[in-house]
Amino acid sequence: MASSDQLAASLGELVGAEVHITGMASVGAQRGTFFIDIVDGADVTQAVAQVSASVLGSVPASAEAEMLRLAADAGVPVPDVFAVCDDLPGVGAPALVVSRIEGRTVPRHILRGLADDAAGDSLARQCGEAFARLHTIGEPQAPASLPRLSHAAYVDDLEAKLDALDHVRPAVRAGLAWLRANPVSDAPITLVHADFRNGNMIVDDDGLAAVLDWELAQVTDPMQDLAWMCLRTWRFGNDDRPCGGFGSLDALRDGYEVAGGTWRSDAFHWWTVARCAWWAIGLAGQAAAFTGGLTDAIMLAASGRRVPELEFDMLQQITAGPGD
Amino acid sequence: MIDQPDARTLLEAMAATLTDTVMPELSGGAQHQARIVANLCRVVARDLADDPTETTAALAGLLGADGSLDDLAAELDQRLAGGELLGDAIPILLADAARRAEVAKPGYTDGLV
Repeated sequence: MASSDQLAASLGELVGAEVHITGMASVGAQRGTFFIDIVDGADVTQAVAQVSASVLGSVPASAEAEMLRLAADAGVPVPDVFAVCDDLPGVGAPALVVSRIEGRTVPRHILRGLADDAAGDSLARQCGEAFARLHTIGEPQAPASLPRLSHAAYVDDLEAKLDALDHVRPAVRAGLAWLRANPVSDAPITLVHADFRNGNMIVDDDGLAAVLDWELAQVTDPMQDLAWMCLRTWRFGNDDRPCGGFGSLDALRDGYEVAGGTWRSDAFHWWTVARCAWWAIGLAGQAAAFTGGLTDAIMLAASGRRVPELEFDMLQQITAGPGD
Repeated sequence: MIDQPDARTLLEAMAATLTDTVMPELSGGAQHQARIVANLCRVVARDLADDPTETTAALAGLLGADGSLDDLAAELDQRLAGGELLGDAIPILLADAARRAEVAKPGYTDGLV
């Protein structure tokens, strides 16, 4: 990563004004996120700059900007795009500058900020509406650089990632075999965020203020998004509130359907299994980076010991079967 | 001979020291890392008492073969990839995942198994 002075200068060139870095929002697994002030004469605009370290599999910053604009047009709450560059000169990483939206982003703060279950259900309904609007963006409109994935292609991709791990994981293998043996109803593929969950959104006193972190987006079965939002991992211990630990499944579904989405229970179940497998493989991959000497981060080592939770959730879902 | 305190007792004492004494003196990222290390100490303490014998026996029965747990897991993995044994393997794998999840996070399978 470049020095912060270099980063500020390069971001300044990009937005065509003076840029001051005022803080760091987070250093995620995927990238660094900086709070910046854009100073143009007497005008100061608060903004956020996402600067990716090069990470395999991320969508290009320009495609992320294109998605944010499409999502905004479709009525999904997202930040405004100020500037974007796939290879920021002097920094050598993609950069995306967007408006700053106030609110809570830390999952436990979001949960604490909700007065009661009714407030949580209201937020779940808003999430359902946002998903439905996002899923009006069909395959032809979605950025060309995003992968188009059928159910079978999704499982093939998981299997390739599983085979690349340094240890056999028969539980995950069984999950993939189940996914292949239990195909679901087909539906038109749409733009899918693929990582919209408690932890990638901004919530204020009126509820959902913005959907963040579009770098995993793909074009596939829209029910993937609903299933991922409800994975047990993202409930932060509130297992009686399936939607992000704050809302009921009924509230999420109601919001989705009222806004025009078509809920398919078999696909919701299939994607719950598929995303448990995906995250089990992802966590095992983080641990493999540690055991392989690519990182000494204790957090990534600890990820390896979270894999059984995902394997259990996946197999338990398979055993329980789909709901209504 | 096993010197005292034994490994589990030490790990639990290490976790308690980190949680009760070290973490309150820290903030931000360092505090977060100390929390992770304390939790891993507790995971390892439980791991030392973990016994996968039932999984090994169930896999040997399923596969009609003897071998170490690693060997049997590799054999099952191959058979599953070939489209075999899925229905019979799932209850065994679920019970095994439940046991390992309880090592990682006690209470994780409560009410679900």
